[in-house]
Amino acid sequence: MEFPNHHRQIVEDLMAGKFILPTERTFEVLNENEEFYTQFFKASFNYDLKFSQDYIYMVSDESNEMLSRDICIFIALLSYELDRDGKNFLERIQYSEFEVEEIENYFTNSSYIDLILSTKQLKDAENRRNFINTLNRRNIIEKVGDNRFVFTSAHKFFMSFAADIVKFENVSE
Amino acid sequence: MKAEPRTILRFLLEYFDIITDLYDTQSQEGVITFEVLNQITEKHGFDIKIQLLEYKILSNVKENFEIRTVYYDLIEFILSEFKPMLPETIEKYHVSIAELFRKIREHIHGDKVILNQRINELSNEIRSFYEMVEKNTISLLNETRELKANVKKVDYREKIIRASRWIDEYIIPLNKILDINHSASIANKLYDVSEFSNKYRLNFDDENTRVNFEKLYFQLIQVNDNLLHQSKILTNELLPLIERIRTESIILTGWITYLKNPYKQKSPRILKRKEITVYSPSTFFNAAELFEQFKNDEVIYFEEEENEAEKWIFDKEHYTQKLKENLPVDNFFKWCNNTLKEDYKKVEIEKFFALTSLAFDADLQLEYTAKPEYEKIKINDLTLTVPKIKINQHGIS
Repeated sequence: MEFPNHHRQIVEDLMAGKFILPTERTFEVLNENEEFYTQFFKASFNYDLKFSQDYIYMVSDESNEMLSRDICIFIALLSYELDRDGKNFLERIQYSEFEVEEIENYFTNSSYIDLILSTKQLKDAENRRNFINTLNRRNIIEKVGDNRFVFTSAHKFFMSFAADIVKFENVSE
Repeated sequence: MKAEPRTILRFLLEYFDIITDLYDTQSQEGVITFEVLNQITEKHGFDIKIQLLEYKILSNVKENFEIRTVYYDLIEFILSEFKPMLPETIEKYHVSIAELFRKIREHIHGDKVILNQRINELSNEIRSFYEMVEKNTISLLNETRELKANVKKVDYREKIIRASRWIDEYIIPLNKILDINHSASIANKLYDVSEFSNKYRLNFDDENTRVNFEKLYFQLIQVNDNLLHQSKILTNELLPLIERIRTESIILTGWITYLKNPYKQKSPRILKRKEITVYSPSTFFNAAELFEQFKNDEVIYFEEEENEAEKWIFDKEHYTQKLKENLPVDNFFKWCNNTLKEDYKKVEIEKFFALTSLAFDADLQLEYTAKPEYEKIKINDLTLTVPKIKINQHGIS
């Protein structure tokens, strides 16, 4: 049986919980073989493959709630602090590099300090550094040096989640 | 009007600060109350209420006042502080332009005076229409930029509402008015007027009318260019900017709601990683080996193999006695072999060698020829070549 190009890479990345990005060659292969891969992961692992123009990712019935929540808290706090600092947070997150030191400044001086301290992966500088590595492994950010990183287009997954909160709130109202 | 025009203009210049304050009040409140009028004039130290009424800058509305439209528009224009107008207001030009154009077309060979009058009025309507569009674009841009900078610290939810309102109620309808490809748009109507005037500016029997059509035609070229420019501002600058404000505000409002209690909110579903190396063929064995080494660490024990040869202990005393009983023995090695065969079904070489060690007993008297005689003894599969040794007696007997 013949498999599409980069099949092994695709399976390994998706099984590792990575977001596949348009900049990767596997993104195109996945799009070209959407039906095959959707069925492949469903039949093999009962996982659902989700496609969008900015990322492709996989979800299972059992979600990594804790990591997902911590990522949301991280991006939410960063967005809030950037806005409070007079920055266009969407533009900054989408187009600019961040220094770990800058993140540290925002987190240590945040008015949400209680929430930060109660979130295990974000509570101190060392944990935050590890957390940034986790984001890197999941392709949510891309490290461009030891202390610098950029957000990938996968950040839009979390931004659209935030937008949905307002939409659903309005619907329920 | 009693006053001289220059006097009024000088008055406007001299008391411009008071007039600006009155303009602001009317813009915000709709009217200027008597109390507010007093407060403003007192603040600046000039009681000019009488002149304001005399020069017809203010007019009475019941017990309140308002700035007359002509002055209001003038100040608005000077300050470039236009309020966005609903496109419905602009849409009225569609009716007036279309109506004038219809009459010009239908009565093109009618009364020249009326025709020229209609051409001039059409020109005025087009000018007014364009000015209104321009004012609206400027005002929307100003409002949007102000909202973006958020100088007034507008709440995020209010930002969403305002941005949505401007997009849905102002920009999109205004864009429709300016869309030349839309058959019902004013821009499309102006295109028809332009083609018509182009035809008659070159081919009409009355020169005066030709000149008027020519003026109208060139006015329309300019207006079309300007409308295109306004349309570009709306679609390329204003719409993305305002859309971005709306998106940003929605997302930030969502995050703030989320941060209120992230533990009560559902988070987006992401894959829970399982440590499976899908492709390694030795995954199972590697894992089994890994787990077994911990599993067996406590329970495993080594059982020593049973060694029959070691278990067999040579009973020297017994065999020495047996040898004594069999004395004299002509062939010692043969005797060893036969003795063992009697005791055991199978003779192991170890037993044989153990028994031959009796030959070293100092009490035995060995006898062998000077020239050794050899013979072969077969022990299982092994054939040994051994010397012939004779034992006559044990000890001094």
